[in-house]
Amino acid sequence: MEATTQAPAAVELRNLVKTFKTAGGEHPVRAVDGVDLTITPGEVVAFLGPNGAGKTTTLDMVLGLTTPSSGTVTAFGADPRRAVAAGRVSAVLQTGGLLRDITVRETVQMIASTFPQHSDVEQVIARAGLTSLAGRRVSKCSGGEQQRLRFALALLPDPDLLVLDEPTAGMDVSARRDFWDTMHADADAGRTVVFATHYLEEADSFAERIVMIAGGRIVADGSTAQIRSQASGRAVSADLPPHDAASVLATLRDMSQVVEATTQGHRVTVITSDSDAVARTLLYQLGGSNLEIISGSLESAFMTITAPARGAGTEQEGSR
Amino acid sequence: MNAIYTGLELRRVFRDYVSMFFIAVLPAFFYLIFGAAQEFSNERAGNGNVGMYVMISMAAYGAVTATSGIGGMAAVERMQGWGRQLGLTPLRDSSYVQMKAVVAVAVSAIPIVSIYLLGVLTDAEGSVTAWLLSAMIVLVGAVVFALYGLVFGLAFRSEAAVGAASGSLVVLGFMGNIFFPLSGTLLTLAKFTPLYGYVSLARYPLTEGYIVNTNNGAVTHEELWVPLLNVSVWAVIFAVLAVWLVRRGRARQ
Repeated sequence: MEATTQAPAAVELRNLVKTFKTAGGEHPVRAVDGVDLTITPGEVVAFLGPNGAGKTTTLDMVLGLTTPSSGTVTAFGADPRRAVAAGRVSAVLQTGGLLRDITVRETVQMIASTFPQHSDVEQVIARAGLTSLAGRRVSKCSGGEQQRLRFALALLPDPDLLVLDEPTAGMDVSARRDFWDTMHADADAGRTVVFATHYLEEADSFAERIVMIAGGRIVADGSTAQIRSQASGRAVSADLPPHDAASVLATLRDMSQVVEATTQGHRVTVITSDSDAVARTLLYQLGGSNLEIISGSLESAFMTITAPARGAGTEQEGSR
Repeated sequence: MNAIYTGLELRRVFRDYVSMFFIAVLPAFFYLIFGAAQEFSNERAGNGNVGMYVMISMAAYGAVTATSGIGGMAAVERMQGWGRQLGLTPLRDSSYVQMKAVVAVAVSAIPIVSIYLLGVLTDAEGSVTAWLLSAMIVLVGAVVFALYGLVFGLAFRSEAAVGAASGSLVVLGFMGNIFFPLSGTLLTLAKFTPLYGYVSLARYPLTEGYIVNTNNGAVTHEELWVPLLNVSVWAVIFAVLAVWLVRRGRARQ
């Protein structure tokens, strides 16, 4: 209903493909292999996937740092380069280099000077928690401090979309927590945030929506709760009456919703896509007691969902 | 033209004392040792004296050290990720090149101004035209060697390689007839090396092409097209190499 009057999507990817020539030459690698995705303004989205899944390449195309081999990419309805030049899109890059021989403040001043309009330099330094380090050379800053500096640079144009490519890679636990605290405050202000990570807990605690990428394709897309449930993994466990363990297992394994059933002593554990059905069967037909249902971890969901794509990837490589 | 960015870039270079030593202090020292302090310094040479001949040579050496360093560092900083950072700003590649060129010219002006000032103080002599024109040629011609540094930076992608590029100018300086007057076969070979054309052009307003053989005093004349051709050919070689290396870098991306 609102579609006709809605503002353009923050990010719109249509059948996006990026191929790279390999060192050998003949077979180009499809780093991004047909991605369709729409991100609406205000969303906080995590790109989750193993290394080499195509996350960085996809984000590079969103930022106009790389051009697609085929397909289209727009940011706020415009070409990414133009959206970046207009200050609507900014990013904290995984491999964004800094000049080591200048100070934190000079770095911010330098990047600020390239924008016709930008936030106040000292204010941005304060928001990234760098005020006490402003006079320090970049080479003397820790990895976490340098990452906060990149964050400050990203805040300069006051962007509507902020892209973070593995923003906490190489940080220790407390630096990571500090970084996400700063980010939380920022995202609450209504900015669209897209971040790539392979830390599941980051995706879980910070994103509203998770896009899982493996082998250059989107393999899952939904809320954190949806992704979790996609794992064939809620575990239902119960104590069994002492006799007949073998026939109970046989009954459970015959159920179509059951992925796996195992026993340990008197206790049976069933991995299932339909925990309600299994729970009913256990309680009413099989005499189970002390029933417990554990919802699948994001980690197991991640493994289950990305496994086929990862398998296909290795197979393709093997056949070449 | 972004004054803040350019200003910060200049501050960066001036703060790098090691580079400043090789750009300004060392060539000035060379001038005093090999030029001003020598007895032959006051002997006539073309439209001036030998002191001025050495002065122009050393200013040229300092200027190319400056530009090759700046060209090389530009390549390295871009490849080490600063290029991606700048890719997230409205700054265009052409503006970046323009700012770097301004910085290169400004920095190469340092050895020129300081050594020419030393020249004034230590009795380097020449016609007004020779003073002004040689300084202009040294300044403008040094830009070719920004490409030389750029090629090294693009090819080897490290700060050490850029240092090596600037250092290699000492060798090219000897081979190019900058530090020590060559004669015979060595002089013939020198005409094919990259610094020969540049420094010969810079001295042309003084020497008008006359070369004195320091061994037997024989005077030979060299037409203007020789150094011009040398500079043009090397400029094309450096430019083609730089473009090829940039393309190779893109394809690899």
